[in-house]
Amino acid sequence: MTPLAPYLPIAAVLGVAGVLAVAISAIATFLGPKRFDPVKFDTFECGNEPIGSARQRFAVKFYVVALLFIVFDVEAVFLYPWAVNFKALGWFGYMEMVVFAATVVVGLIYVWKKGALELES
Amino acid sequence: MNIPSLTFLDFQPVLPALLLAVGGIVLLLTEVFQSAATINRAYQSMVALAFSAVAGAVAAATTLEPAREVFLGFGVSDPFSGAVTVLVCVGLGLSVLVSAGFLRHRNAERGEFYALLLFAGAGMSLLAMSNEFITLFINLEVMSVSTYALSAWLRRGTRPSEAGFKYFILGAFSAAILVYGASLLYGATGTTKLSELAGLLPAAVASNPGLTYLGAGLVAVGLAFKVAAVPFHMWTPDVYEGAPTPVSALMSAGVKATAFASLVRVFLPFAQDLGPNHAQLMTYAFAALALLTMVVGNLMALPQRNVKRMLAYSSVAHAGYLLLGVAALFARPTGGEGPLAVTPLLAGAEGAARQQTLQAILFYLLAYTVTSLGSFGALAALERREDEPRGTAWDLEKFAGLSQRKPGWALAMAAMMLSLGGIPPTVGFMGKLFIFRAAVDAGLVWLAVAGVLASAAGVYYYLRVVVYMYMRPSQDGVTVPERQWTTELALVLSTAAVVLLGVAPGTLSAWLGKASVLFSQ
Repeated sequence: MTPLAPYLPIAAVLGVAGVLAVAISAIATFLGPKRFDPVKFDTFECGNEPIGSARQRFAVKFYVVALLFIVFDVEAVFLYPWAVNFKALGWFGYMEMVVFAATVVVGLIYVWKKGALELES
Repeated sequence: MNIPSLTFLDFQPVLPALLLAVGGIVLLLTEVFQSAATINRAYQSMVALAFSAVAGAVAAATTLEPAREVFLGFGVSDPFSGAVTVLVCVGLGLSVLVSAGFLRHRNAERGEFYALLLFAGAGMSLLAMSNEFITLFINLEVMSVSTYALSAWLRRGTRPSEAGFKYFILGAFSAAILVYGASLLYGATGTTKLSELAGLLPAAVASNPGLTYLGAGLVAVGLAFKVAAVPFHMWTPDVYEGAPTPVSALMSAGVKATAFASLVRVFLPFAQDLGPNHAQLMTYAFAALALLTMVVGNLMALPQRNVKRMLAYSSVAHAGYLLLGVAALFARPTGGEGPLAVTPLLAGAEGAARQQTLQAILFYLLAYTVTSLGSFGALAALERREDEPRGTAWDLEKFAGLSQRKPGWALAMAAMMLSLGGIPPTVGFMGKLFIFRAAVDAGLVWLAVAGVLASAAGVYYYLRVVVYMYMRPSQDGVTVPERQWTTELALVLSTAAVVLLGVAPGTLSAWLGKASVLFSQ
């Protein structure tokens, strides 16, 4: 199994992480004080009092926004290595990136005109 | 830092795919920018048709160029990939023609439909050129994601969503299997490029046999899902039935053709570079797959009264005949090497034999593309809207007496059924002749005999449709949809192709023979 040898540190980190996770929750369960009251059993809403149920239907539009966010996020990820090598890649690299960004922008224009960004309608 | 130097000229080999993608973008933008008051979508199918035609013509030109690596070896441009792209564009064009009438009849014609078709086509074209596992995976997904969306295009009703969901879940699963297999092969050899893989395989098999065999097997399973080989065919009937008929046609032709192309591209190095024992092992593995697919596909199609499901099972059976060709490709008829070597005629002419087998596979793919598009097209012309209860929309009874009501459609459908059954003078017969001859030349006589027997069983259910059309009286009160000139044009074109190529296959088969060149080191 020599080809897998370089991955040994990763396996070690995974092992340590697993042991640590189990140990921390075990220690907390066994040693931690247990004092319960109704507020503690309530849903945690960042300090606000919860209003109504969280189990309701959400409009599909939110998912479209989330998907678009990921598309542009990934675009940004691709821009970084290109920006670092900008000089070496030259005009060809620049034009490549223009084409790439233009493709994403065309997608945005399509989604915009389609009305998927209007949350209230 | 190692920065590759590329220029714009390096993009010339992927021009067909670029054209298809640009066509898709044009259709998307014109769809959202046209004014709602004067909505007329008749132009969309023509735009899609024009882009497919130009892309096909450009791809046809690349079949005359020598094979070479492109994009630093991540892809190859060879006559084979050009020929597969031409097949894809033929399928796209016919599918667009059928779609135009089909969608208009259902008030479901939108630019996005054609855009998705063209994007799928771009993915198929690039998949045929992919020579590296990650590139292959991405292009497979471009093709698949477009077809997942297309198969659920007619959203109303349960059947399209069932088709979309089944195809998506199983397709994603099979893609994951393929990627896992590729990662194991990467672990064993340290490369994802197929051109480098070939040289590294013998050492990998010697040091890491388990990893290599498992990786290759999982890649084969992933691709077998896409070509719908038994026992990975379960999704086929449900998806083909629920998807819009023109989309089923494209899935049975284009998706299958390109999946076969990458099957050949990935596994030919295995058979070539691992020595005769491994070539024999692979021949038997693919022969078993072919036997199972031919027999099960034909037997399952026998009891179907629903013509669309019957065509779906028939596409499984045809994948079996193609797998027979693939098995023949991997057999090495070099003489004196075990039970496979029974043809001394071809000893020493291995390259020529391989080229002939590839030619047979390409010819069969072409024959199946035009025939499948034609038969699904005739079905699309006849089929009424999906508001009928399950199972009746495509029942055999719909074909009863069609020769009196619509003699033209009946004639086209009869030609398609004869071609699918492999009866002369149709292109299906020539395809079967070439592929069975390739199998016999490769020493797989038993498999060829099994294939002939299985296709004899197939003749029963193909001819049953013809019997219903010509010998059964028409039911009372049966109406047929209005005529759509685009659908009828597609029927005329595919019928002409089926008959002409069946009578005179010479020119085309000579061209495919020249195009049967794979890139190799």
